[in-house]
Amino acid sequence: MNDFRFALRQLVKSPGFTAVAILTLALGIGACTAVLSLVNALLIRPLPYRAPQELVLLWQKFSAQGLDQIPVSAPEYLDYEKQTTSFEHIAAFDYTDLNLTGGDLPERIQSAVVAPSLFPLLGVAPIQGRFFTNDEFGEGRDNVVILSARLWQRRFNSDPNLIGKQIALNGSNFTVIGIMPAKFQFPLPLFGIQGGTFAGPVDIWKPIAFTKNELESRGSRSYGVIGRLKKGISSAQAQVEIDTIHANWLKQFPDNYNADVRFGGTLYPLHEQVVGGMQTALLILLAAVGVVLLIACANLTTMLLARAGACEREFAIRVALGATRTQILRQILCESVLLAVIGGAAGSLLAVWGLDLLRAIGVQTVPRIAEANLDVRVLVVMLAVSIGTGILFGIIPALASGNPEVTEALKEGGRTSTAGVPRNRVRNALVIAEVAMALVLLVSAGLLMKSFARLQNVDPGFNSRNVLTTEIALPVAKYPRGKPVADLFAEATRRINALPGVETAAFTSILPLSGTNSDSSFAIEGRNPMAEKVYPDEEIRVITPEYFQVLKTSLLRGRAFTDADTADSPKVVIINEAMAKKWFPNTDPIGKRITFSDPRKPDVEWVTIVGVVATMRHRGLEEEGKPEYYLPHTQRSNRAMVLAVRSKQDPRSLTSAIRDEIRRMDPDLPAANVRTLEQVTSDSIAPRRLSVVLIGVFAAVALVLAAVGIYGVMSFLVVQRTHEIGVRMALGAQRSDVLRLVMGHALRLVLIGAAIGLAIALVSSRALQAMLYNVGAFDISTFVLVTLALGSVALLASYIPAVRATRADPMIALGHNG
Amino acid sequence: MIKLKNLERFYPLTKEKFFYVLRDINLEIQEGDFVSIMGPSGAGKSTLLHILGMHDHGWTGEYFFEETAVHNLKPKERATLRNEQIGFVFQQYHLLDDLTVYENLDIPLSYRHYSKSERTALVADMLDRFQIVGKKDLYPRQLSGGQQQLVGVARAIIAEPNLLLADEPTGNLHSSQGEEIMGLFRKLNDEGMTIIQVTHSEKNASYGKRIIQLRDGWIVN
Repeated sequence: MNDFRFALRQLVKSPGFTAVAILTLALGIGACTAVLSLVNALLIRPLPYRAPQELVLLWQKFSAQGLDQIPVSAPEYLDYEKQTTSFEHIAAFDYTDLNLTGGDLPERIQSAVVAPSLFPLLGVAPIQGRFFTNDEFGEGRDNVVILSARLWQRRFNSDPNLIGKQIALNGSNFTVIGIMPAKFQFPLPLFGIQGGTFAGPVDIWKPIAFTKNELESRGSRSYGVIGRLKKGISSAQAQVEIDTIHANWLKQFPDNYNADVRFGGTLYPLHEQVVGGMQTALLILLAAVGVVLLIACANLTTMLLARAGACEREFAIRVALGATRTQILRQILCESVLLAVIGGAAGSLLAVWGLDLLRAIGVQTVPRIAEANLDVRVLVVMLAVSIGTGILFGIIPALASGNPEVTEALKEGGRTSTAGVPRNRVRNALVIAEVAMALVLLVSAGLLMKSFARLQNVDPGFNSRNVLTTEIALPVAKYPRGKPVADLFAEATRRINALPGVETAAFTSILPLSGTNSDSSFAIEGRNPMAEKVYPDEEIRVITPEYFQVLKTSLLRGRAFTDADTADSPKVVIINEAMAKKWFPNTDPIGKRITFSDPRKPDVEWVTIVGVVATMRHRGLEEEGKPEYYLPHTQRSNRAMVLAVRSKQDPRSLTSAIRDEIRRMDPDLPAANVRTLEQVTSDSIAPRRLSVVLIGVFAAVALVLAAVGIYGVMSFLVVQRTHEIGVRMALGAQRSDVLRLVMGHALRLVLIGAAIGLAIALVSSRALQAMLYNVGAFDISTFVLVTLALGSVALLASYIPAVRATRADPMIALGHNG
Repeated sequence: MIKLKNLERFYPLTKEKFFYVLRDINLEIQEGDFVSIMGPSGAGKSTLLHILGMHDHGWTGEYFFEETAVHNLKPKERATLRNEQIGFVFQQYHLLDDLTVYENLDIPLSYRHYSKSERTALVADMLDRFQIVGKKDLYPRQLSGGQQQLVGVARAIIAEPNLLLADEPTGNLHSSQGEEIMGLFRKLNDEGMTIIQVTHSEKNASYGKRIIQLRDGWIVN
């Protein structure tokens, strides 16, 4: 206790030293805490459901067509429900949109349709009301909903009597039967039914009501399936059962499951599906903050070494008075551990602030980031890290001072330079290590930044500038499929085109880079899929005529859709260049025909290719565009469409005018999720941006710490060498000689550190390969630029002490006293 | 060789009060002279020596070195003049701990931009002249005090200065070692080198040709 009290007194006595040390530690430990909180929330903390390790997702695949992780159809789900025995529960789910009316403004609410078994399966109870019952599973019985606490509070002012009341959704009345807890979320954002969907959090759950059409079509796949494994059943055992069911289907339904398409299904642990994609990035971030912390430790070690040197006389007195080596060691370690714990506390505060920032940046795009906080587990780990850090940076100074040269140190004015040589070696080694570690981090940051910059400059195949987008979903009750739907979108296009400031407006079923997707199979005229064993299945979009004009996507051949392409006119399709190359190589696709029905049947309806457009990137800026085809909305109506408006001005200024216009057409129709197309594009690379920003920040911190370290060591050496510098000046050294002496020393350390850092970076940058776009892991220019930048900063950091050294007064240095 | 006129060195104590270290110093030193500056501690001996050595620039008055008016020179010009003309010997030797004897002798030459071959030749000559060839690879801590001061003198004269300044050159030495150094000084003086030393020792002063007594910053003889 006495040691700690003395250590505290020592820290109070040197407020400058203490402040710099605590700030250094706070930066290192704070960065570590923030990233550890992310890792804890995303990778370690169990999902907020009962026994989440038992939860699995089931996705189907058609390997021959390259289709993986695709949803299941209603009949398939019902088969799974009946035939599987490995699961305690199994539940289907799908995203949907519901227009909530009855208030001042209609509002589109992100919703989900779920099997009644879902909530018992997840093991989360409602805070009010009840779950769905099996009686509510089916068309005509599904007019009940469960609300999220968010919606209940926001829209219904936490009405305690809401249970049992009716609310208007999509023009029909639904009875509210339950309210889910505030933190409950399902589906989780990454449950992309067709891969990669980022949907917002769901606020309304309603029971699935499979339609007659759905129940008759095994090929119409739109439902995710989640299952809870029975106790004692492994995922592999359940997988065998699923494989058996699939094998039976192949025999039972040969028209639906051709052996050539290599149909199958895979069970994935739920946790892996939610955050698996972030694992590499998080581990790299963890390594990065580890490096930052080590650099901070190196700095602290050099600072404590300097202090220990200054306190040598005091330690010598203590030894002379009977202190043992262990007691001296303990006293020095007490100081460093105390510093580290205070630094850790300050770091935790920084981390709280940093996590707020991270959550704000990533809440829409990084799964589970909203859960990132300082929980007990993180705090305990950080306390251990702080104490470990204190011991790590305290041990070398402690060992160096634990055995002082009593006789020398106690001589009046005695020079105690005997310990100087090994200490200086340690200091030099620490600077070298700092430079090496900072360089590794800077190279990583440099590579990721270059990669990110290249990604941002990719031509996505469309022009995202000055385009506003909003989603409009027509309720089925009011707008049954067919002409009324097409008419509404045609009228909306006409009206919005007439608004001042609007250049062109169009609708599409799916925006590029929006995360959602849809694909459909087709047959090509003149090809025999059975004989060729090729079953085309590509991504499909439904659009209004001006869509390519709005997105400024080039029409390469043929024509765009026109108003003459109506429901009654010959069926037409536009394909993209990737699809033309894949399915019509070395031939002009214009005039070729495809069909969505069985080409062997006599009444087959052919669809003629009338145009070829440039390929847009859809799955991500880093991924080449896939084959896509486009159908006119008049010939394939779609009730949920995205309006895209090219503006002559800032597109956001059109928001209220567009909303008003939609409301004038139908007061119950909300224009939801209003975003610019630039925002859509930007959101598509948000997780990557988060990693780049974080690594960039950590690299900058590392650079600053390394610079501070070099500055500190060089300053100390200058003070230590004042006498030598004075002698040199007395012997004729000029300012430039002294400058060269000090900076030459720094340069030697930096060069050695840089060489070691480059060697490590050559190995470590391989780990980044998967995160790099269009930049090699050994990108020479990045390596050179980063090394030069670090070298310049390091030399700048040593320049100030060097200049100070040139001001050394030889008379004072030589200690003359008149 | 050296002419000082009304030279004064003082430190301000308050806005109006000053502490004088040297007062109204008027002094002439001829080429080939061997001058000992004596006086009690605090008399201003070392300050005068450092002014003569152009380390101290905070004085007033006139200082002529041969024909050059030092008082009109900028610090950099003074440093150049000092490097060309003056060598120093210190009481504490002030050898550089991390350099060998050879490297310590090489240092002043490197600062005067001698070529590598010239430096090698001059260092070899000096080692030979002072009979310390066998110690050229030793570090200062491996030498006795007398040997260290011998190296200090060799280092001071290696760049062939016209003036050698010595601040208590035997202050840290045994009497026999002191005599050896003073004998060396006389020999150098006989060879034509001007020497100014600060000393408390009458005996050391007797090796010189002239004594200047300082008291409270004034020349008293």
